[in-house]
Amino acid sequence: MSAASFQIEIPELVLARARRGDARALEQIYRAFERPAYTLALRIVGDADNAREVMHDAMLRLIERIAQFRGDAPFWGWLRQIVVNEALMRLRRERGAMFEDIDEREEPAGDAPAPWVLADAARLERALGGLPALTRSVLWLYHVEEYTHQEIAEMTGKSVSFSKSQVARGGVRLRRLLDNEEVAPCLAATA
Amino acid sequence: MSGRDSLIDPSPDTTLAAALRALPESAPQPDLWPELAQALPQRRRRRVWRYVLPAAIAAGVAIALLMPRSPVREDSAPPVASNPATVSSPTATQPAPAQELTQLHQRSQTLERWIAAVAARAPQDSRDLMAAVEVEDLIGLVDVQLGGARGDADALPLWRQRVALLEDLATIRGTAFALAENGDAERANPASLNLVN
Repeated sequence: MSAASFQIEIPELVLARARRGDARALEQIYRAFERPAYTLALRIVGDADNAREVMHDAMLRLIERIAQFRGDAPFWGWLRQIVVNEALMRLRRERGAMFEDIDEREEPAGDAPAPWVLADAARLERALGGLPALTRSVLWLYHVEEYTHQEIAEMTGKSVSFSKSQVARGGVRLRRLLDNEEVAPCLAATA
Repeated sequence: MSGRDSLIDPSPDTTLAAALRALPESAPQPDLWPELAQALPQRRRRRVWRYVLPAAIAAGVAIALLMPRSPVREDSAPPVASNPATVSSPTATQPAPAQELTQLHQRSQTLERWIAAVAARAPQDSRDLMAAVEVEDLIGLVDVQLGGARGDADALPLWRQRVALLEDLATIRGTAFALAENGDAERANPASLNLVN
């Protein structure tokens, strides 16, 4: 799972049909992006119900706006931006907690391998769930979706240095959560 | 994303990135598509009211204003019909498949000739050009399907679809042509188009 999982090319013909409102073409697009889009939403908002709502709203937005998509940039990037925007909007709406900060001092990592190297998926997902929503979002957008700090700053309405500090502190907090087995509410995948 | 911050920060924690990327993907449960599909007609109606209707009104007004000055004779454009079979036989109630196929072939040829003549003379803006290319792609797809059609029963709906798409294309090309001709009336040569149909 990475930004590459979102990099799905949709044939021009399918896009043309979708622009005309063809339900089968729209479903084809939905099926292609169902998993990467939902996973991204889940990592940002942190729970399955909200992720489902984000996905629903993002797809309706896509249906409404696809006629305006002119192909200047890859379709997947356009759709991914819709999903990220919807998810961040939901976070802002639902939780003031989006902007809660963490105060983790960076610690020397030592020679031992980082705990996420050894952790299984379930344990890492639980630890991710223990991060504040914004920290988790920034960490995911940076490491997995490969957005730059500049792009993340623009999307979150924060500064570049804030994005950098969230990535650094989020990593430290994640390490601590995994080391100490501080297990947070489950952020496990539903499928 | 281009350039990435690794250029600025030379030591991103690649092991963390790899661990996060290795997490399994998920899908919404239960399936979300049925809900979205139900919302589709409503959304499309809204879109029609928001975009298509104003565009149609604008196009109608433009054509009404431009047509008196157009050098093209009124009968030079092929008539647009929702059911092409009724165009040349208004008294027919339900033509036989073979008869309808013949009518569709004829209509298809007429439309193609008209579009080819108009396309050669009318400049297209990028938006119209993209729309025209999309429709041409769809016509190409129908042609591929027609190549594999077995008998009239298979071919009939495909020919109907082909004629409908050609009518779409004629509308796109025709609007550009009407606009171009109006701005260029003095230099236009009406005879060349009148020969088409």
